[in-house]
Amino acid sequence: MSKLANVWIIGEEIPAINELTAGAKTLGGQTAVVFTGDEEQTAQILGVNTIYYLGTLADKILETYTPSIIKLVMTEKPNLILVSNTRKGRLLAGTLAAACGTNVLTDITEVVAVDNGVQSQRMVYGGAAFRTEKSTNTINIACVGAGVFECSELPASEKVVEVEFVAPSVSIKCLKKRAKLGEKVNLAAAKRVVGVGRGLKAGEDLKMVEAFAAAIKAEMGCSRPIAEEEKWMAKERYIGVSGVMLKPEVYLALGISGQIQHTVGVNQAKTIIAVNKDKNAAIFKQADYGIVGDMYKVIPALTEKFQK
Amino acid sequence: MKIVACYKVVPEEQDIVVKGDRTLAFDKAEWKIGQYDLNAIEAGMQLAEAAGGEVSALSIGGKMVDNSKLKKAALSRGPEQLYLVADDALNAADCYSTAATLAAAVRKIGGVDLVLCGEGSGDIYAQQVGAVLGQMLGYATLNAVSKVTAQGDNLIVERTLENEVEVLEVAPPAVISVTTDINKPRIPSLKEIMAAGKKPATTWGVGDIQTELGNKTEILSTLAPVEADRKMIILEGDSDDKIAELYEHLRRVLA
Repeated sequence: MSKLANVWIIGEEIPAINELTAGAKTLGGQTAVVFTGDEEQTAQILGVNTIYYLGTLADKILETYTPSIIKLVMTEKPNLILVSNTRKGRLLAGTLAAACGTNVLTDITEVVAVDNGVQSQRMVYGGAAFRTEKSTNTINIACVGAGVFECSELPASEKVVEVEFVAPSVSIKCLKKRAKLGEKVNLAAAKRVVGVGRGLKAGEDLKMVEAFAAAIKAEMGCSRPIAEEEKWMAKERYIGVSGVMLKPEVYLALGISGQIQHTVGVNQAKTIIAVNKDKNAAIFKQADYGIVGDMYKVIPALTEKFQK
Repeated sequence: MKIVACYKVVPEEQDIVVKGDRTLAFDKAEWKIGQYDLNAIEAGMQLAEAAGGEVSALSIGGKMVDNSKLKKAALSRGPEQLYLVADDALNAADCYSTAATLAAAVRKIGGVDLVLCGEGSGDIYAQQVGAVLGQMLGYATLNAVSKVTAQGDNLIVERTLENEVEVLEVAPPAVISVTTDINKPRIPSLKEIMAAGKKPATTWGVGDIQTELGNKTEILSTLAPVEADRKMIILEGDSDDKIAELYEHLRRVLA
């Protein structure tokens, strides 16, 4: 496999950064992380030749540093920048792309180095297809989510370089930051996922599914209607939209019919198990094991067996 | 405030046909305004209704965007006028080319204070065009915006991130990409649809605006996924015996 000379990583949270670094090392020779936040945190950023440290976020937002990052990138010209696909990451990736004259490869599910650039794959048309794209610009940028690269043991990073501040020309003032209500989930990193769909009759019946998920130590996900129409579960738990590609060891689909938009989101699961009343449900064609039956009978019975 | 709301014309997903060679066929597909872009148009209307101002809609794409049904679909949702860059040279535009064309159109419209985009396009959902467009125009640029209000000459926006909500004061001109939660797009009445046909629409070709076309990434293929080989051991019926059998399979898988 061909390798790139320089691969950079930009992310907000340390675990995400280190995961991208593990991937960057498979793609390139020299690696660097561009980081904003507490200076002490740089000690937790592992495995790279250089950490470019921009400054604190105590009195600023990441976007305040955008011109500084653009100047750094335009000076050093890394072959590839892997950006963690948080909302701020996506914005920064697009801003950098405009400045460098490139197009961002977003939500990629796999990436390889080719011809001094990269070739990657992503889901398009709501999961109906995978698109393979190639980017061979001077600077290439990809937005990558959790679970795309395997984590690996990384040594301490070599050095920290402080980056000069370039004041922004636009005015965005942060008035306040407040904690977001609701929960934080990382479905993409989960080893076991229970997905629930239209077969669920009422929001309070989620308790039954939660008890089952707890009994087998699985994370909970859902199909589109449960999150978007019924709003019984948070949007972050909706499987099948771009970006949320599951790669668990085991996926259990409960009362999910198995439309293409959903099954593409889970078809990288090692084992798929389906529970559905309708024996013609498409999900059974995607399943390793299944039962044609009422989830309201099957789930409590299984929960009881696992709790023993 | 002069507001421009951008939208993309996308195929109805349910009409996309997967062919034998796993490529996709769009000939039977109905075309529509991307669902996330309806939130951008609605956000523009609500802001103009609350703070005063004028909303225009803007779309770029192949010649098919210049279709009377699609134009009415945009204008019936409130914008006073519509601008299109309709040119088959834009059929396969990537996010970079799309943003470059939108930037040229926004400059040609002139005096724009706020450009609104949806969270992502309804078909590709790369969520990049707003970010690229903002940088190209040199405007203040934000995404994930779940609330916009005017305060004097400035905008107060709320930005819903993974773990927190930022409340920001932004000085226009700005490019803002809104979330799907920001509002519930209005459903136009028959009267509004009829009236939409009388609103002004300006159609440009690529040659009419100052833009440099050229995709920065190359599409090698777009193929339906190969179905994984599955065991398909399906038990019929939910008797205690069958549940016990499923439990045994599950127990082994989870071991």
